[in-house]
Amino acid sequence: MSFLHARLTAHPLRYLLVSAIALTLAAACSRDTGGAKGAGAVGVSTPASHATGGPVTPADTDDFGAPLPTDARFASRVVSLNPAATEVIFAIGAESKLVGRSRWDEFPAEAQKITPLGDGVRPNLEAVLGAKPTLVILYAAAENRAAADAFKNAGVRTITLRVDHIAQFMSLCTRLGIAMGAPERARQVADSVQRTLDAVRAATRGAKPVRVVWPLWQSPVLVVGRGSYLDELIEIAGGENVFHDMSAPSPPVSIEEIAKRDPDVVVASAKTATTLRASGPWRAVAAMRDNHIVLNDPAVTGRPSVVLGMAAVSLARALHPELAGSLP
Amino acid sequence: MRGAREVWLAAGVGAALLLLIAVAAIAIGAVRVPIADVLRALSGSGDTSVVAIVRDLRLPRVLLAGCVGAGLAMSGGALQGTLRNPLAEPYLLGVSGGAAVGAVLLLALGVSDPSLLTLGAFGGAAAATLLVTAIARVVGGSSDTRLLLMAGVVVGAFSNAAILVVLADSPPERIRGALWWMMGSAADATWPALARVAAAVAILGALLLWWARDLDVLVLGDEPAAALGVDVDRAARRVFLVASWLAAATVAAAGLIGFVGLVVPNLARALGARRHRPMMVVSGIYGAVLLIAADLIARTLRAPAELPLGAVTAIIGVPFFLMRLRKLAA
Repeated sequence: MSFLHARLTAHPLRYLLVSAIALTLAAACSRDTGGAKGAGAVGVSTPASHATGGPVTPADTDDFGAPLPTDARFASRVVSLNPAATEVIFAIGAESKLVGRSRWDEFPAEAQKITPLGDGVRPNLEAVLGAKPTLVILYAAAENRAAADAFKNAGVRTITLRVDHIAQFMSLCTRLGIAMGAPERARQVADSVQRTLDAVRAATRGAKPVRVVWPLWQSPVLVVGRGSYLDELIEIAGGENVFHDMSAPSPPVSIEEIAKRDPDVVVASAKTATTLRASGPWRAVAAMRDNHIVLNDPAVTGRPSVVLGMAAVSLARALHPELAGSLP
Repeated sequence: MRGAREVWLAAGVGAALLLLIAVAAIAIGAVRVPIADVLRALSGSGDTSVVAIVRDLRLPRVLLAGCVGAGLAMSGGALQGTLRNPLAEPYLLGVSGGAAVGAVLLLALGVSDPSLLTLGAFGGAAAATLLVTAIARVVGGSSDTRLLLMAGVVVGAFSNAAILVVLADSPPERIRGALWWMMGSAADATWPALARVAAAVAILGALLLWWARDLDVLVLGDEPAAALGVDVDRAARRVFLVASWLAAATVAAAGLIGFVGLVVPNLARALGARRHRPMMVVSGIYGAVLLIAADLIARTLRAPAELPLGAVTAIIGVPFFLMRLRKLAA
């Protein structure tokens, strides 16, 4: 579930816990799906934009609208508090410049060797500045604006990036490539992911779409909505998300609503599948009664990163076993 | 005997409302099902999906909401009686805090099994109320109910702090799960969960009704009560404990749902139920009505998304309570 680390900016919610005013809590809960300002805004629902993901900020500014470095002059000591960025930095071979990461940065495995400096949202400024960075890469959530300003005041360059959609991942690669001094390698990483996605899309074109519900959490029941890259992955892999009409990345829905939309299959990790099979209420969903469960590996699908291509392939194989021969 | 007639009338109207809202809540949902099919599905016949939706989703949910509402309202009524304070409610007295610490601790540890969470919440709440009575006894030694109230507030505040410490170090998705739980929801209703809370409401509720006469005497004041043969200290403490555990059982089943325990007993008194036994009976009925209605709103108002139940009860409860305040002031 690590993609939730990146996307649910729920940390500030804990400040509200003290308050017994449930109303405030409800508002906060719906806000975290709405996302931060900037490119994090949820994608527009036209079919055209769905094919390529959400809107993308012009390449010369970051997701808070600050100008991006045009070369690698700030990249000597980099702290990445953004899990997707950390993974890309490793993928483009620029990890020697990393002097710190957030404690949520789990991929790739080698990232564990980088010093963890605390949270990625509302970071510990002292801990980060203590690593004497020249560049800090932040997750573009509204809660990080104060931190971005503070780093700027301390004379440290920041880049804030957010990945909710596949197109944003591509853009993140390009921007990081420039800022880290490996633009060519970054383009190769992005191109390779894009080629795999295109190949999967081509292979599943013409196949009858499998109607999918993808529960992400059980209490409350959260499912994949249009705001998530997983919605795009479903479509690329020859599926149709029955909650595509909901704009949030992971909207809470009732089990009865899922029963009403009557998906062909339920996509779940092995662990989630076990829980769902044992659940009484989920019996109301026909796909569960008929055991139409498509297993997925959260380590592959759990984050919008360099494994996006692999995620699309594994999902397409699961949804369309008959196409296995023509998939990459 | 005008009072008695008022109470019967209130209880009768409440029971009719309860039946009406329960049927409506079972009939209404995301999937449109004709009422005839709903009734047939209740007996297990008809389309498999409809039977599953009615019997596995809606029925346990409506019954759970009813039990939780009744339990909270009766608990609130008993606590208001024993503390002689119409503003007392289970959540003010450390119950919610204790339950939340128990459940959130488990959630933060990655436990998601519902029956374990229930156990954790109940254990936390039960421990917190024991702590409250122990503090009150150690500090005061006497039967001063204000001490119980203050000890409850202190334990509640401490629990909140403990929750913040636990959550501060948890990954965001667990915080979201914990938060949802703290906002209250009947969405996780299952038959085993319903059986647990129904048993708690039946047993602990019956105990409270059994002891309700003591509360009527307690209201007269400590000395008159003692003169009438009531062990004031013991009566107050046992009602406090049982009422708190009743609230704890509801928290374990549906998370934190505020306002029901505060508003409904005041409503019952406004309807003419002055003595504690009828007041708690009327409270139980209207508590069930309120929570079933609130849950219906929670799952239909913003469908297909669900609203947190605790927020809906507060939205319904606040205007009512303000009206009541005005009346009290006048």
